[in-house]
Parts: sequence; structure tokens; C-alpha cells
Amino acid sequence: MNAADPVRFGALKQRALLVGLAALALSLVGWFLDPQQFYQSWLVGFLYWIAFPLGAFGFVCLHNMTGGAWGFVIRRILESAAGTTPLMALLFLPVVLGLHDLYEWADEAHVAADALLQHKAPFLNVPFFLTRAAIYFAIWILFTQLIVRWSGQQDEGNEPRPNLTRRIQLLSGAGLPIYAMTVSFATIDWGMTLEPHWFSTIYGMLFVVGQGLTTLAFSIILLSKLSEREPLAGVVKTGHFHDLGNLSLAFVMLWAYMSFSQYLIIWSGNLPEEISWYLNRSAGGWEFFAPVLIAFHFALSFLLLLARRRKQAPSALMRIAVWILVLRFVDIFWLIAPAFSPGEFQLHWMDITAPLAIGGLWLAFFFHRLGSWPLLPANDPRIDEALKAHEVHA
Amino acid sequence: MTEPQGVLKPDPVIEPGHDYGSITEKIASIVDTGRQPKFWWVGFGIGFALMQLFLVSAVWLLWEGVGVWGINNPVGWGFAIINLVWWIGIGHAGTLISAILLLLRQDWRTSINRFAEAMTLFAVACAGMFPLLHMGRPWFFYWLIPYPNTFGMWPQFRSPLVWDVFAISTYATASALFWFIGLIPDLATLRDRATNRTGKFVYGLLSMGWRGSAVHWYRYEVAYLLLAGLATPLVVSVHTVVSFDFAIGIIPGWHATIFPPYFVAGAIYAGFAMVLTLAIPIRWMYGLHDFITARHLRNMAKVMLATGLIVAYGYSMEAFMAWYSGATYETAMIEHRLFGSFAHIFWALIAVNVVIPQVLWFPQVRRSTAALFCVAMVVNVGMWLERYLIVVTSLSKDFLPSSWGEYAATRWDWATYIGTIGLFLTLMFLFLRVLPLISIFEMRTLVPGGAGKKGGDDE
Repeated sequence: MNAADPVRFGALKQRALLVGLAALALSLVGWFLDPQQFYQSWLVGFLYWIAFPLGAFGFVCLHNMTGGAWGFVIRRILESAAGTTPLMALLFLPVVLGLHDLYEWADEAHVAADALLQHKAPFLNVPFFLTRAAIYFAIWILFTQLIVRWSGQQDEGNEPRPNLTRRIQLLSGAGLPIYAMTVSFATIDWGMTLEPHWFSTIYGMLFVVGQGLTTLAFSIILLSKLSEREPLAGVVKTGHFHDLGNLSLAFVMLWAYMSFSQYLIIWSGNLPEEISWYLNRSAGGWEFFAPVLIAFHFALSFLLLLARRRKQAPSALMRIAVWILVLRFVDIFWLIAPAFSPGEFQLHWMDITAPLAIGGLWLAFFFHRLGSWPLLPANDPRIDEALKAHEVHA
Repeated sequence: MTEPQGVLKPDPVIEPGHDYGSITEKIASIVDTGRQPKFWWVGFGIGFALMQLFLVSAVWLLWEGVGVWGINNPVGWGFAIINLVWWIGIGHAGTLISAILLLLRQDWRTSINRFAEAMTLFAVACAGMFPLLHMGRPWFFYWLIPYPNTFGMWPQFRSPLVWDVFAISTYATASALFWFIGLIPDLATLRDRATNRTGKFVYGLLSMGWRGSAVHWYRYEVAYLLLAGLATPLVVSVHTVVSFDFAIGIIPGWHATIFPPYFVAGAIYAGFAMVLTLAIPIRWMYGLHDFITARHLRNMAKVMLATGLIVAYGYSMEAFMAWYSGATYETAMIEHRLFGSFAHIFWALIAVNVVIPQVLWFPQVRRSTAALFCVAMVVNVGMWLERYLIVVTSLSKDFLPSSWGEYAATRWDWATYIGTIGLFLTLMFLFLRVLPLISIFEMRTLVPGGAGKKGGDDE
């Protein structure tokens, strides 16, 4: 088989689509029964899955700026994931439909009775919220589609094309700060304003780091499978997994660092307008989430990722990555869902089906994109040296 | 076809034409020929003179009391804490370069890590002066340390100021150890090259019996890597604890959850600015263009640009949330900063810390040493202004208008501050005189075909 030929993922695509459509059908039934619950579950699922394309967008930019062998072997995974942003815009529509059920600031009667919400009204109003969402998606779609297109053009022919590479780098250089800014404000809009009195300046960064970790875990899972066969079989070395494992370790630590910093500062200040967020999450069953996250999302993941032996074994690293993806969902659920039932833990069946629906559809589209081009980028001036360097290390 | 620079092939980290001998000769001869260029004497002279200013102002402070400074009630922190944070921040680049870039296998760190680590140590030394002097009675500093004693003193562990004692002393210890261990093989080189008895004795003592055997190298590599792993969290922890000094309280403008990461980014930003401030003259002074290449300067400029953007992100989040929160005191604080009695400092800060460094986006600027030096100086000033703004504005106007007050630094504040710059310069120039400013043995590994070479540019 020629290395340049794309690998098709027909079976995977079909299975993902099937699961997605089935879960979507179930969720739609749920929508008729309990629209409010549907919107809430959908928002949780949406904020979980949007990390996959957006984190990939951030990482592609980072990789294009810095090079590094770890990036070349997962670049097509990242680019294909980033390329799915149009689908995410489509999947955002239920949030738009459910705006009045989700956000109390969208309810005029509620705002009229709340002086603080009146103060925030220039920012928290429906038209401006929708305009901002449109801007975020427009930026994400523009950047990701251009990166994907130019990266595909780079593959054509047999010659390096420095001007094109340079253009990709410039776009990525601009993309990185824009990514950080748009994701921060998007998560503030979609997540933080669910509890419109509360605020935390680190909130956006917390999501940026979470997205990074999600993307790394997802890439590790795919790479461990793809590395078993052509065209990546001969190319991907234990050193690449080691690097990705180290990056995951760093992101696990960053996530813990930011989550803990936010907690420590708010806890020590103990101001009514800030501590409410934690109080909503420390009663009625929600109080078990934080210890679980500390013990598993941080401590256990950290310890597992410390050992070099595990980072160099694709199958072991893949299991850790699956584990991290599960805990990412627990984290997102803990960040978002208590806003709907403060101080009272609730798990609805749609909390499972809605994320499954979004995930199934997203994965199907992702595999479709991944199958449409070669798994290894060609003609990048830096790729040969980057891959060669790893042979020495491995 | 015109090729955009550096896309096809990155610039080398060492200019071609060097071998083991020429590297050793070039770097070690700075130390053991005994002659220094006249710029060394000028620099050392300025530093030494300013250090006298520090000694005079410290003596005057101890004689008269901390009242000689501009601190007052409510602004009890003033210059002392501004300068502590400024100096501590500067130190971070050294640890980042030596530990994190080592773990990330960035070979361009090799020719800048040694003097960046020295810079860290000296910056921490300068930083330490301020809380000590700020106590007014520095001889009681050991009261901060928890130890069993007969007078019932025990530090308040809920106070981040106590965490600071641990964070900074750990940082100083780890940085010194890391630096010294990295020096051992080079100290042995200097010992072997020494022609006089003093040199042989002192370098001999310090090189701890290094003979360069395979076992020595093996243990050395293991120890160095472990220390790098241990030093890595310190890059983050120290300035995080410093940010907690502010954020753990509820003073408007201090109590912000973004503070930890934003302080760490600011520290790295300031640190790289200082490394560039030092590297550019040193490179020129000793003609080290072959070792500290355009690529080094460019990479440092990029790190500065990236961390500067994170700092700008911090500013914008702070300002946005102050409005968004709708909290009376937060809103008043940000208005005070933007339009109040310290507004000129705020807008100067935005200009020097956010706007001007954006020129680093342009490759022409990153290629020009003069431009880079100017940007680095601007950032040095900018990061100082940032700390001034944080410390002074929040303290001068908190909750009750009856307890508001203005702040103005006295000439002794300035003398102490400028004096520590003298202390820093003195230590730095002495270091250049007696120790190899670039790691000799690590540079040797960069020679094409050398021991550590991974797929070279010139093969």
C-alpha cells in the first residue's frame, strides 16, 4: 500500500453514526417529554465534545509554530478534528433554541427583578449573546478550514513549499491568541453565565487547559490504534508516545493547578458572591465529585503518567487516555450541571444520551474527514529531521 | 524562488567551524587569561558603585527605621514588595531555561543556561533583601521559620507570607544546587587549565574530584536530570505563592483567580527580558556570536512574545470581570486604576507591556539585536510598573474612603532599589570573571559529530 493513500474508516464511521443517530432519536423523544432537561443535558454534552475540535485547533497552531516530532505523527488527527467545527456550529442550535430554558438572564421578568443582572444586561442579552456565538463560530470555522486546506495543498507534489509552510505558520501564530481569547469568552458565555451572579477570572483558562488535555487523550487513543498498521506502523516510535504522555502529564498538572488555585482563592476569600458556586457543588450528592476529581482526574492520572514504562507502551498509554477522557466528562458535568440543580445531585437518562448523540455524530464526521486524506503529512520541510531525531531517542 | 528565512532549515545553535578545542579555548580563556575587556571594568565599576548606594541606604534604614521609605498606612507594602516580586520574577527565566527546556530537549538552551541560572541566583539574592529590610528588624527573620522554641512563637500557616518563606528558600536552594552541579565538569576543566596555585586549589576543591570517568558521567547525567525534574515545579510554584500573597486576601484588585497563572507568565516574561538584556551585551563584549547565535535571540524573543500575550490576557480578563462582576469595590478599583490618581502608570503599563512588545511579531525586529535590546528594556520597565500598579493602587484605596491614602516613594526607596541593581551587576560581573559563562562541556556536544549530536545540520 502506498503511504500517501488515505485509510478509510468506513466501519468505524458507520458505527459512530449509528450510535449517534440512535442516541439522537432517544434524546428527541426526551425533548418532547422534558424540553428543559433536554437542553441542559445537551449543553453538557456540547461543552464536552466541543473540546475535541477546539483543543485540536489550539494544538495544531501550537505544533505549526514549534514543530516537534510528536506533532507530525498526530497532525492529521488534529487537523481532521479541527476541521469538524462546522458540525459543531450545527450542534449548537439546540442551545440557541433552549436559551430561555437554560439561562436566567435571558428571562426579562427575572432580569427586571435583579439589579445585578440589569447591570450585566449590556453583555448578557439575547441578541448580543447570539452575535458573539456567531462570531466565535465564524472565527473557528475560518481558521480551521484554512489550516486544513493549506495543509492539504502542502501534500501536493514532491517538493517542499516554503511559502505555503510559512503561510500556515503565520495563520497559526495569529490563531493561537485568537483561540485562547475566543474559547475563554465562549466558555464564559455558555458555562459561567449559567450562574450569572458568579464570576472567576481563571474560568476561561480552565477550559482551555481542559480542551488541551481532551485533545491529547483523544490523539493518543487514535495514534495507538493507527500505529499498528500502515502507513504509520513504521513511522511512529515509542518516543512519540513518550512525548505525548509527557504532554498529557503536564496538562493533568496544569488542570489540577488551575482548579486548585481557583478553589483556594475563592475559599480563602469566602465572599458571598464567589463562594456560592462551590456551595452549590458541595451538597446533595455533588460533594462527592470534587474528591473523585482530585483522586482520579489528578492524583491517579498523575501517578500513572509518571512512569516512563507506561508512557512508552502504546496500549498502556491508551488505557490512561481513555480514563482521562471519562474523567474529563465528569469534570465538565461537575462544572455545568450543578447550575441546573444547585445542591441536589441529579442524573437524568438524557445526560447520557445527549452526549452520546453529539459524540456519535461528531466521531462519524471526524472519521469521514480523517479518511479523506493521507495519515502522514508530506513535504513539510521539518518533518524528515523531526522523525529522524526520534529514531535516535527511541 | 525566495525562501522565507528559517523555514527549510533552522539556523544552527553553534556556528560552523568549531571543534572541542576551540570551544574550550574560547570560553575558558575568558576566565583564566586574567585579562578582562575594558567593558568588564566599566560594567563592574558601575555595579560596584551602585552597590555602595545599597549599603548606605540599608545602613540608613536600619539606623532610622523603615520610616525613611515612603510606606505609610494604608500603603504598607510599597517599594519593598514591588521590588521583591520584580526580582523574583526575573529569576524564573533561568530555571525555565535550565530545567524545562532541558526536559523538552531544546538544544538551544545550552549556551544560555549557565548565565541565566547565575542570573536567577543573583536575582533571588536581590529579592531576598527586600522582605528582610522591610521587617525593620531583620535580625529576627528566623521567627518566620517554624522551630521548637521557648517563647511560644509559631508562624501562622494560613498566611501566604509564611508559604513564601518556604517557596523562596526552596527555590534559592534548588537553583544553587542545580547551578553548582551543572558547573562541576567545567570547574574540572578550569582546574586542569589553571597555571597558578590558587586557581588549581580553588577550582580543584570545587570540582569535587571530577575525573571525567564513565561512571562520573553516568551519575552526573542521572543527578542532573533528576534535579531538572525537581526544579520544574519550582518555576510554577514560587510565583504562584507570590501571587497568593495578593490573591488570598479580599482586597479588590488582588483577589482574582487568574492571578497564579498570570503571575507565572509575567515572571517568565520578565525573566526572558532580563536574559536578553544581559545576553546581548555579553555576547558583544566577549565576541560570542558563534555560540549565542541569532537563533537564540530569536527564540527568546518568541518566548517573550508568547508570555507577554498571556500577561495581556490576564489584564483584559481582570478588567472585564471587574465590570462583569458588578461588585462595587471591584468596579471602583478598576476605575481608580484606569482614571484615578495612578492612571498615568496604568496607561504607561499598557503601552510598554502590551503594545510595544507586539513589534516582536515582525521577523525584522527579532533579527535586530539593537531592537531586541530595546524591547527587552521596555519589558523590564513594564513588569516593574505592573507590580507598582498592583501593590500601590489596591492598598491606597480599599473599602472605606476614610482609610484611603496616597503613596509616593522617597529618595531612599529609589536608592535601595537602584542599589540592588548594583548588587546584581556586581555579582554578575564577578561571575563572568571567575566562572565559565557558557557551559563548555555541553557546547562540545553540539559540535557536528559530537557525542550528543542528533542528526546534524552539517552532516
